[in-house]
Amino acid sequence: MGTKLKDLMNNPKEVFYKGHFACAGCGSALALRHAIGAIADKVILVVPASCTSVYQGSGKGVSFNVPTINTAFASSDSVASGIKAAMEIKGKDVHVVVWAGDGGTADIGIATLIGACDREEDILHIMYSNNVYSNTGGQRSGDTPIGARTSTTPDGNTTARKMVPFIMMADNAKYVATASVAHLTDLVDKVKKAVSLKGFKFIQIDATCPVAWKVDFSNSIEVARLAVQTGIWPLFEWERDTGKVIISRPSQKYLDKENRKPIKEWTEIQGRFRGVTEKQLKALDADTDRQWNFIKKFL
Amino acid sequence: MVGKTVTLTGNLAAGKAAEMAKPKVIAVYPITPQTDIIEYLSGLVSSGKLEARFITVESEHSALAACAGAAWAGVRTFTATSSQGLLYMGEWVFWSGYGRLPIVMPVVNRCLAPGWSIFVDLQDSMAFRDAGWIQIYTKNNQEVFDTVLQAFKIGESKDISLPVMPCLDGFVLSHTTAKVELPDPEEAYSFVGDYSDPVVEVDVDNPWAYGGLVGPEQFNIARRDLMKAMERAKAKIIKVNKEFEETFGRSYGNGLVEQYGDDDADLTLITMGTMGDEADEAIDQLKQEGYKVNGVRVRTFRPFPVEDIVRIAKKNHKLFILDRAVSFGHEGPLRIEIEAALKRYNLDIPTSGDIVGLGGESVPYKRIMKIAKEALRS
Repeated sequence: MGTKLKDLMNNPKEVFYKGHFACAGCGSALALRHAIGAIADKVILVVPASCTSVYQGSGKGVSFNVPTINTAFASSDSVASGIKAAMEIKGKDVHVVVWAGDGGTADIGIATLIGACDREEDILHIMYSNNVYSNTGGQRSGDTPIGARTSTTPDGNTTARKMVPFIMMADNAKYVATASVAHLTDLVDKVKKAVSLKGFKFIQIDATCPVAWKVDFSNSIEVARLAVQTGIWPLFEWERDTGKVIISRPSQKYLDKENRKPIKEWTEIQGRFRGVTEKQLKALDADTDRQWNFIKKFL
Repeated sequence: MVGKTVTLTGNLAAGKAAEMAKPKVIAVYPITPQTDIIEYLSGLVSSGKLEARFITVESEHSALAACAGAAWAGVRTFTATSSQGLLYMGEWVFWSGYGRLPIVMPVVNRCLAPGWSIFVDLQDSMAFRDAGWIQIYTKNNQEVFDTVLQAFKIGESKDISLPVMPCLDGFVLSHTTAKVELPDPEEAYSFVGDYSDPVVEVDVDNPWAYGGLVGPEQFNIARRDLMKAMERAKAKIIKVNKEFEETFGRSYGNGLVEQYGDDDADLTLITMGTMGDEADEAIDQLKQEGYKVNGVRVRTFRPFPVEDIVRIAKKNHKLFILDRAVSFGHEGPLRIEIEAALKRYNLDIPTSGDIVGLGGESVPYKRIMKIAKEALRS
């Protein structure tokens, strides 16, 4: 689709009015501004409990310039299904987009997500992934990587993260992609492609939470870039119609493990990995291999 | 087409009423004894007789969530549930009540586990009396049909904008066939009217945020507005009951309560649901035996008809309340409400009552006669 950097400043409309409540360096707010901004003239946003329900502002001071339905935690895709159904009946062509965190997607939201996917609802679910329950103070989620300290895993998380994109591929979504706040043009391309397709679309964005990840907010983009360069976060697309994975341009080089930076470069700039053991790093490396090996089967 | 008299189960009566109101989005999840309602509507949508989106979601939680989404988009919505299903959707029962989304959802009353049973009591819907829903309890299949039709008109009124829960006793009504007069469908639809002016209608060209953060001041404005809407709903239910009578020739008391018997009786039996129908029969039989018993069936539990209860209680000082649910640690919920209503008007009238019919235990008129005789003696 070839979105250029300068295109990022030419959205149909600006999503944010002045004065949202997101922290400095928030990956979710940045991703939302560009992902939703690119389709802002036709979007209805559905947001389950998350940081996004907070940083949009409060009362009369809502900062979002797109219609936004805030929902109970475990039901965003069901609400989106109802909105889309009503809009279809009314003959209105709109993009109904769920904007949910990893808790609202991978954990408490997994039933509503998969339900909407197997009904082939014509909606786009965007999971902004900050690997924890940021809004409640950084507790472990199913998306927390091995070794990461959270407020409920003080010795580091011991189990592999739940890879929702793979689940969505198995559940035969129309379109599945991963994206990163470090590669915004790639993200916008994927969002535009997703909404051009009819059916259930899923995009997961690696979206830095400087607070939970304990990185300086000036490193918010750098840490996301390192996730791509170390292979921790492979960027790819998968389409049901072809059954094929396409490795996205920023990740192509890292298909070959030889080219990847050591995982330590990603963990060392994050306070959440302070005290990570060699054993945990090894397990994290093995889990990264597992992800790539899964993707490679569909090349 | 003209109206006709048919025999229907309570579930089909609910389904036919929904059909005539033409909801645009129906999202469902099956649970015994509600299933015939949704199966009937699925057939209509699939054959094209009803132009609607029929969404078969993965849980009750999602069923009501999808209805809420559609209601936010400003279209008429319908679902139905029962018992554990109602509990599972509980978060959305409150969300849609407090969010003022006028969804119509019959609840086929069924007891709650454990023990595991599929038969009637009112414990399920009673658990949601504070959820901001209008609750109307029915006594027979005709009233099920009429109430579901009325529910759309009441809940969708712009000055009310509240979800409505028509309640019908599981199996006693849901699976029992009885005579129902069906109106001409066009006349039924014109009684309900289009849902043309929703309070909320999400629109790309007019962006608003719904359900977001608010401070205490706005929060209290919203809650107090809901309290006022519930109070207005009393007059609305009375008005719709009257209009219904003018159009179709049937009414249910004043809409809030239905009285059977005389004010100057020696005892007033207060009931809900099908027990009200049995109580009427008991009152007739008792009359033949020389007893003067009055019957009051509370039709709307929310809003609660405080004024009607007080009016009747003032004339007849001996009240006996039959509850089909329990507020553990206190009494039956109906009795609690009635005692509170009397207290509010400083009426020093002692009540008595009993909790009966739990878990599908039968409460036939003979049993009610026995209960009434004992109450008269005490």
